[in-house]
Amino acid sequence: MRIAVIQFPGTNCEHETLVAVRDAGMDGEIFRWNRPEQELSEFDGYIVPGGFSYQDRLRAGVIASKEPVMATLKEEAAEGKPVIGICNGFQILVESGMLPGSGEIDLALAQNVMVKGGRIVRRGYYCGWTTLRHESLPRRSCGSFLLDGGALLQMPIAHAEGNLVTAKEGLIQELADEDQVIFRYCNSSGTAVDEFPVNVNGSTENIAGICNPEGNVLGMMPHPERAIFSWQLPPPGRRPPGPGPGRMVFESMRRFIEVSR
Amino acid sequence: MKIIGLADDEVDKDLRAAGIGMSVAEARSIAAVLGRDPTLPELFNYDAMWSEHCSYKSSRATLKEFLPTDGPNVVMGPVEDAGIVAIDDEWCVVISHESHNHPSQILPNEGAATGIGGIVRDVNCMGAKVVATADPLRFGDPYGPSANKVRWVAEGVVDGIWQYGDALGVPIMAGDIVFDESFDNNCLVNVVAIGVVKKDEIIRSRAPLGAGEGGYDVILVGKPTDSSGLGGVVFASEALREEEEATNRGAVQIPDPFLKNILFKANEDLFRLVREEGVEIGFKDLGGGGFTCASSEMGAAGGFGMELDLDLMHTAGEFPPEVLCIAETQERFLIISPPEHRERILEIYNKDWDLPGAAGAKASVVGKICTHDRYIVRDKGEKVIDVPIQHLTGGIRYERESKPRKIDLFEPDLVMPEDMNAVMLKLLSSPNIASREHVYRYYDTEVQGNARIRPGEADAGLIVPVRGKGFGIALAVDSNPFYGRISPYWAGATAVAEAMRNVACIGATPSTLTDCLNFGNPEKPEAFWEFREATRGLADSAKRLWLKGYPGQPVPIVSGNVSFYNEAPEGSIDPSPVVACVGIISDAEKAVTMELKEAKDRIYLIGRRYDELGGSEYYREIFNETGANVPQVRFEEERAMIHATIDAIDRGLAVSAHDISNGGLAISTSEMAIAQEVRLGLDLEIDGCGDASLSSDRLLFSESSGILLEVPANRAKELEELIRGFNLEPFDLGSVTDEAKLVIKRRGAPLIDLDLAEARDAWTSGLEEAIE
Repeated sequence: MRIAVIQFPGTNCEHETLVAVRDAGMDGEIFRWNRPEQELSEFDGYIVPGGFSYQDRLRAGVIASKEPVMATLKEEAAEGKPVIGICNGFQILVESGMLPGSGEIDLALAQNVMVKGGRIVRRGYYCGWTTLRHESLPRRSCGSFLLDGGALLQMPIAHAEGNLVTAKEGLIQELADEDQVIFRYCNSSGTAVDEFPVNVNGSTENIAGICNPEGNVLGMMPHPERAIFSWQLPPPGRRPPGPGPGRMVFESMRRFIEVSR
Repeated sequence: MKIIGLADDEVDKDLRAAGIGMSVAEARSIAAVLGRDPTLPELFNYDAMWSEHCSYKSSRATLKEFLPTDGPNVVMGPVEDAGIVAIDDEWCVVISHESHNHPSQILPNEGAATGIGGIVRDVNCMGAKVVATADPLRFGDPYGPSANKVRWVAEGVVDGIWQYGDALGVPIMAGDIVFDESFDNNCLVNVVAIGVVKKDEIIRSRAPLGAGEGGYDVILVGKPTDSSGLGGVVFASEALREEEEATNRGAVQIPDPFLKNILFKANEDLFRLVREEGVEIGFKDLGGGGFTCASSEMGAAGGFGMELDLDLMHTAGEFPPEVLCIAETQERFLIISPPEHRERILEIYNKDWDLPGAAGAKASVVGKICTHDRYIVRDKGEKVIDVPIQHLTGGIRYERESKPRKIDLFEPDLVMPEDMNAVMLKLLSSPNIASREHVYRYYDTEVQGNARIRPGEADAGLIVPVRGKGFGIALAVDSNPFYGRISPYWAGATAVAEAMRNVACIGATPSTLTDCLNFGNPEKPEAFWEFREATRGLADSAKRLWLKGYPGQPVPIVSGNVSFYNEAPEGSIDPSPVVACVGIISDAEKAVTMELKEAKDRIYLIGRRYDELGGSEYYREIFNETGANVPQVRFEEERAMIHATIDAIDRGLAVSAHDISNGGLAISTSEMAIAQEVRLGLDLEIDGCGDASLSSDRLLFSESSGILLEVPANRAKELEELIRGFNLEPFDLGSVTDEAKLVIKRRGAPLIDLDLAEARDAWTSGLEEAIE
């Protein structure tokens, strides 16, 4: 089982993503943007990792989304192979029309706007740990395949543009109805309070991750690859050694590939 | 340029007209060595290489006189761009520490960003993976007469740091911020970077053995050379004058973290090639002094000469030879390598990583190493520079005059305020004590996935950078300008002691130190005295606090930087010897934070309270006084304190630890309760931890060195024994409670009875108010 971790100029999470892939029992390699894109077909699954591809020029993710390798990735996704976009990878999948999946750009990951008590208390870049609630059914998406409904997962975010918004009427409701909302930001007891710091970036209805209708393409702003060992979770020293919650995303991907074979 | 035969005033006029900063005597000495009038490009090259920034002409003798740079764990001392110490038999830490003060005052965003850009290159070029940075920052008074400018600088600097560091993908794990009116016109932006490398994979910044005989290539990699950062080192070697601000802007470099991100990955492939082929290369970043500095230093360090051709250099346009030589265009490296690997190396950068297509950059062969001893540069077929390479890089030395500054400070006569709760709230929200969260949320601490202890959780940051290895690397920085104002010597000594305490308070053993010495104009005897005193102080601490496990051996100082001329016509900065300390903990699982852990645990203090409130937050914030009794380092006691803390954490006796610094015992204990969401409180009795004659406010707010340890009640006796075993006195202050209140009593009478939720609100809002 081979996973391609796709690297654009400016990507900066490819190494820890590859560690996570391997840790979940899959083979993987970093796939540089200027390799012949046909070689991409040899892989069983794909991750578009985080970073600042093309320096976030114009809009985060937009330039990478036009690379030839993305056209091939779309074809592979149409075959049903799993694709997970993390942080900047999520932004790239949205810009390429792969999420929520119409082929059009239906969403934007806009600048973070932190609101508390009706007042904007901060804007832009923010790094911190969040709790995610798994909103969907088990097996709904390639990256949440093994998660129970309502499962809570601790993961960090680190981005300036993760505020999911849309101008398309009814889209948010549709995503919820179709169980395409995979993760929401919530507090430690699992309530999605729509206020900073629980809603850490101002995202519509606290949405942190969504999938396409088929479930084989998942995008999420939080970084599961930074939460694959329990020692990575704050506060330090309170947990027994073992896997971290982020590993479930990668193990889900593995299971998704196993059952779709 | 004509020098020989002209009168001094004529030479001076010509030098200034050409924009050259050197003295007439320096120009004459160059002409004498060359035996002719130097060319304009030659003068510019000497001017850069002999600048204070490149040559350490004022400071070198003092650094050599005082600083201990060797030790049993030192792999490489301060000879190249970064120092290296061993972690274990296989792995090493690489560390470098620089300042980017002048550029950041002029263009805060670009100045701070290129500060990170430069320091990470210094570490990377040793063959290392850069795993963390730290940023010690000093800004003016955010509520003073220059408030608008100060806030503009502070905001720009923070933006520059996160925009560069986050995009590059290197976590920012430590740092500190101090506001002090002496920085109104001269901010300090220091930056530290650390990397990891295997001992047998270190790459040196010099032409390797046989490079001259083999006619090795000189390959310039990175951004096309332009005129940005022109004269940066000369500008950094002068005091800032407002009327020259427009000109100085051109001396600030332009950051490009995007290109750096790609370059670092291509460099990894270069390092792999070097390993697999077993070939030795020279590799160095281009920083201050640009192309000339990097190339000539590498050639001279290998004992060779070199011939370079500017027509082969990739440039951003037409520029005169002196510009191409000394401009400080960012994101460039220089490789010296055998010609048989030329094709492969160029392929790595130009094809595999497509520098031209992805980022408009390139790798070009620009010359070769020779067995002669000249530094020769050609431009458009003409020889424009031909000088003895060792003379160019050797620099010059100055014996600067040193004269003690008359410091007219005294202890104020004060009346203790009635309402200590109000004092506590005022101190907790003061810009220098308030939580740094507002700033560190901009910093990506999680990239690379190595963070174990993050900013705000403890006195030092901790990363676990090598998978499969249990060791952690701790990083902390320190320096208190208010102490420097009273005594530069004790500012130096306490900076080292506190940085070491910080690292010890998470359980790591201090392994190495770096220093960035920020002062005023060294041509003024009082400023030079401050520099010497601070250096002597920090050296004394490094020597007398010992590398743990090696009695009598200093904690080595393996990297550093001197930044002079931090002054404006309005005055000089407070003496600021900024120190970074790296600690190693062999089992990172054992590291502890400062946050209180469990109700009923006991709180112990080690370190007696003395009448040492000079420069304290209490004096300044509450009474607007400086005072004179600056905290001193009692070397024997301090060493015991640091070593006892490391052992107590290693044995699992201390479950939390926090050192006493700004705001003294009262602030430090409250920080343990409010560092995270408030869950627990404290009930403490402080009588006896200082002389009975000491007033209660002095006990509470003295900034004498000390460490607070939390221990489970059933192991308190064990901890006491351990502390006594170090000839220290354990003070049992009281216990952790499950009520969110800080109660501090003396002889049973409450001094402080503070609601901790209110305390946390005050503490978390102070910084944002000061810089937004």
